[in-house]
Amino acid sequence: MMQENRIGLFVGAVAWATMAFLILPQLILLIQSFTIEDYLSFPPKAFGFRWYAYIFHDETWLKALGTSLLIAALATPLAVVIGTAAAIGLDRGPSCMRKIVRTALISPMILPHVVLGMAIYRVFLPIRFDDTVTGFLVAHLVLCVPYVVVTVGASLQAMDRSLEQAAMSLGASLPTALWRVVLPLARPGIIAGAVFAFITSFDEFIVTYFLASRQTTAPIQIFSSLSYQLEPSIAAVSGLTLVITVALSGLLVLRGSLVGSARMA
Amino acid sequence: MSVLKRFGWRGLIAPALLLYAVVFFLPLGVLIGDSVRPSSSPALSLQNYDAFFTDGISLSIFLRTVRLALFVTLACLALGYPLALFMRRAGPGMRLVALTIVVSPLLTSVIVRNVAWLLVLGREGMVNALLREIGLIDAPLPLLYNTLGVVVGVTHVYLAFLVLPIFSSLLAIDPSVEQAAASLGASRFTVFRRVTLPLSMTGVIAGSTLVFVLTMGVYLTPVIMGGSFVTTLPMVMTDLVRTQFDFSRAAAFAVVLLAFICAVLVISGRAEKRIDAMRGETS
Repeated sequence: MMQENRIGLFVGAVAWATMAFLILPQLILLIQSFTIEDYLSFPPKAFGFRWYAYIFHDETWLKALGTSLLIAALATPLAVVIGTAAAIGLDRGPSCMRKIVRTALISPMILPHVVLGMAIYRVFLPIRFDDTVTGFLVAHLVLCVPYVVVTVGASLQAMDRSLEQAAMSLGASLPTALWRVVLPLARPGIIAGAVFAFITSFDEFIVTYFLASRQTTAPIQIFSSLSYQLEPSIAAVSGLTLVITVALSGLLVLRGSLVGSARMA
Repeated sequence: MSVLKRFGWRGLIAPALLLYAVVFFLPLGVLIGDSVRPSSSPALSLQNYDAFFTDGISLSIFLRTVRLALFVTLACLALGYPLALFMRRAGPGMRLVALTIVVSPLLTSVIVRNVAWLLVLGREGMVNALLREIGLIDAPLPLLYNTLGVVVGVTHVYLAFLVLPIFSSLLAIDPSVEQAAASLGASRFTVFRRVTLPLSMTGVIAGSTLVFVLTMGVYLTPVIMGGSFVTTLPMVMTDLVRTQFDFSRAAAFAVVLLAFICAVLVISGRAEKRIDAMRGETS
């Protein structure tokens, strides 16, 4: 009996340690980002908003954050529309096509982004599309759409198809049935897909890194600042990024779409 | 809307396929084409591939990347399997908390998490500060800019991809099978070893494959947490493109990497199918 308990205790201990491992670094980062000292040390001796105020007055950081937000704000609705349409199309297509097309559509998730980044750079460079915000946006889209396809696809699979048939037998046209019945039912998947798309674009590094030379986004600005010294301003920008993404993820949890996102992995 | 009626599902998929054609399939095709056209001569040749396997450096970096990916996969299994077991046994409230914690890294920026680890593991970081405070060490431990630092960082980034498949395969196990084994006198450890673990194997394979494949393509974390001391294939490829402008060689590296990843995916897919088939026979 002693041994039985010990196994349970061991599993519990590893599980708790792992959960601490997963969230502690981000908490340390948040705590340190509120230092008012000139350098980062643990623990900070005094707390304040000094470095957050700094990044809101620094042109480089503001521009980088602004570009990131702009691209994510444009990429999200576009990815949601393209991805949702594709997911519905996949759901309706002949089953022989479904598997191939679906695999093709979600392959950017598994393909090393470094490969995709250099390939896109290679194609964009000759047409001078590489160092432009539009170029970033188009490249981000192909990374965001797979998430929408997966989350909306999961929602559609869980959906009762007879509801749509009922609507159509009552005289609704196919577009009306899609708009009034299918889309509202797929909403959890659409919201989850939108959150994933936004975060994917907002955090994207390597593909943008290949394309960028003068234009920067927040992750690229953080990366290039890291090569000098780990300054409190980097901690503050990281903290701000963290808060934005945590707020969005909180929306996901509250919406109960977490189950959907767990299913996709 | 009449478009929808006329073309049906094809019309709905078309925008996505158009996007993929331009920024996914075309670039990858161009990449493969470039890899057989070395920058030194315009003629088609396998020179780049030949060099990859014979120049001694490329292959050793590739093998080092494989080794790093194996380390990360093992670390993820060691941490992730117990966590998945714990989540299966937990009540609904605790399960939601654990699930949120597991998924949360997927929703936070990789670079932000790397910066966080710099603050935890750096020379003046939290771990060294605490250890010095309690008098365990005099000089800071080298926790960063080595393989350990990179394994920690990448494990943190990809752990969720392993926990979620294992958790869902554990959830699919009928508890009565385990109860039957226990009632026949098997100890709890035996039940785990002979029943639970084999039945969760599809999740283990799926999750490990995902982590392994993703780690093969990792760039950012080794650069930040390994400094210049840990080199991975993606780092070499990026360097070839960005500083040496040798796109053709980098393209050959990319094709080798892609081929390797495809092989791993095919093998693991076969293994999963076989396990499923075996399960079908026994049940």
